[in-house]
Amino acid sequence: MNRRHLLTTALAGATVTALPAFAQPAAIQVGAVEILTGPAAAYGIAIKAGLELALDAINLKGILGGQKIALTVEDSAGDKNQAINAARKLIGRDKAVVIIGPTLSNEMFAVGPVTNERKIPTVGTSTTAAGITEIGPYIFRTSLPESDVVPVTFKKAQARGMKTVALMYANDDAFSKSGYDVMKASADKLGVKIVATETFGSKDTDFSAQLTKIKALKPDAIAISALVEPVSGVVLQARQLGIGPEVQLIGGNGSNSPKLGDIAGKAADGMIVGSPWFIAKPDEVNQKFVAAFKAKYNKDPDQFAAQAYDCMFIVAAAIERAGAADSEKITAALAKTSFSGVMGPFAFTSGRDPASADGVVVLEMNGGKFGIAK
Amino acid sequence: MPPWLDDFFWTYQNLVYALGVNGLLALSIYVVLAVGQLSLGQAAFMGLGAYSSAIMTLKFKLPFLLVLPASCIVPVAFALLIGGPTLRLSGVYLAIATIGLGEVLRAVYLNIDWFGGALGLSGIPERAGIGSIYGLLAAALAVLWIIGRSHIGRAMEAMRTDETAAEVMGINVPRYRLGALLASAVLAGLAGALSAHVSSFIGPNEYGFEPAVTILSFALLGGIGTPIAPVLGAWILTLLPELLRGLADFRLVFNGVIIVIAVLFLPNGILPFRLRRHGRP
Repeated sequence: MNRRHLLTTALAGATVTALPAFAQPAAIQVGAVEILTGPAAAYGIAIKAGLELALDAINLKGILGGQKIALTVEDSAGDKNQAINAARKLIGRDKAVVIIGPTLSNEMFAVGPVTNERKIPTVGTSTTAAGITEIGPYIFRTSLPESDVVPVTFKKAQARGMKTVALMYANDDAFSKSGYDVMKASADKLGVKIVATETFGSKDTDFSAQLTKIKALKPDAIAISALVEPVSGVVLQARQLGIGPEVQLIGGNGSNSPKLGDIAGKAADGMIVGSPWFIAKPDEVNQKFVAAFKAKYNKDPDQFAAQAYDCMFIVAAAIERAGAADSEKITAALAKTSFSGVMGPFAFTSGRDPASADGVVVLEMNGGKFGIAK
Repeated sequence: MPPWLDDFFWTYQNLVYALGVNGLLALSIYVVLAVGQLSLGQAAFMGLGAYSSAIMTLKFKLPFLLVLPASCIVPVAFALLIGGPTLRLSGVYLAIATIGLGEVLRAVYLNIDWFGGALGLSGIPERAGIGSIYGLLAAALAVLWIIGRSHIGRAMEAMRTDETAAEVMGINVPRYRLGALLASAVLAGLAGALSAHVSSFIGPNEYGFEPAVTILSFALLGGIGTPIAPVLGAWILTLLPELLRGLADFRLVFNGVIIVIAVLFLPNGILPFRLRRHGRP
């Protein structure tokens, strides 16, 4: 009896899966692979919200003479295999002509080769690690790699008088390690002396050994590459150990989250972070986006939603210019993108990375909140 | 091949591979459970197979025909190292040691740049396929089935049910245990090498504690009466998340509910039957 139960449920599941494929034959199929469940779900959910907000605006008038875009967002749960399965399902079954995502760089390293082999343009909105677009000629990203953001932050710190720096990073996470590599390169390039390099684990809670050592070396600045939770811990303990505001704190992309203020509060004051986007950016496009996002989801957008919002417009514009829902033509059109969105002016390099880092703003923590650094 | 069938196969290619690889992993845990031991090192052995084979392919450019059998060497060496001392003890020492092994290896992959650190190893060429994966799975199933029906299988079942009684009957318990652990390391190593050579990327966090528990649940759901039972368990647990994709946000809920129901009402697995044996050959 139970075996029959299992079978019926499984069959029901299969039928439900099969249905959407027949629902809207006329629409242009675009697929997205994002983390909607599990510990990293916050990123994927923000991206999905950004994509859908942009889609509402696009489908209002339609593209290619009134056709609509049907966006299917599949969950990868942060798992490499599920991400591949999702991308294959979107391409093979839903006939998606463009794939947006996946969320994490690790997932892109697994999904990229598959979509690239099938010649489906794939646009990452949140993948910042090195080597992503080198996977193949169909892999794009609209997110600025760390190598574009971190140097801007370091230049700011140098202008404030940084001559020596201590580097700290989480060594068990691709994103943090990649950020550290960039920090090291930027310091070398700017002639800033690295006095210490300390590592920790993403789930560590005690950083006193590393910080005590760094304190003794008296660096002008401490740069930290990790996700926001460990960064908050490092900052809090640094203050407890008596590392005062005379030491400039520098964060990587992971520190660029309002959560830093929520967890570390005033302890994080003075920390500077480079960001491709800032909620209070005064231009009209951005203000309209923030207002629309608040109206639809009843909360503030974050950087991931903003990046996704722009990406959806970039993809839609490329389909429009391609003149047909044809992956090969869309890839060619994507390469010629010239767009201005909430992140500022946007174009791709010949290596399919974002061309300019002009949109990067340096933010500074003040009273537990980010503001533009002076 | 008609285009729709081609598309269908392309869509589910990775799933088909995963079914085969997870089948091998299920057999790997089955061999250990069949002698009444609990190992949580299957993921660690798989990681060793994956990393050693990926390095042989990427850095030494060895042909896959050589890489595949060689990928068992490292896991077997570690199994000997761990199994030697712990298998002479009774109780949960193997489980504890194997959990430790997984965590130690994770730290090693992370901290040695040669293994790619946190970035893992990417760009592994696709060398394995349906033939190699299912060929090995079928071969492993056949061998385990034949062994299971022989006097070795009888000894294994005796150990599982009552170790002391089995020892009194003259079964060399530590030797059987070590043999089982080595066989399981070979199967997990092969699974690791095959999966690394179909998914192009491996990372240090794929072979920790969580996947070890997933592999154990293959056998829990399927049962360990026959070698085919854990493989069936693996197939169900691999297929469910994909079959339930249509349920979107509720898919993990349903996935969990189905597993709970199966375990509650079928405590011996969905295939609780035992292998048939006649007199000693």
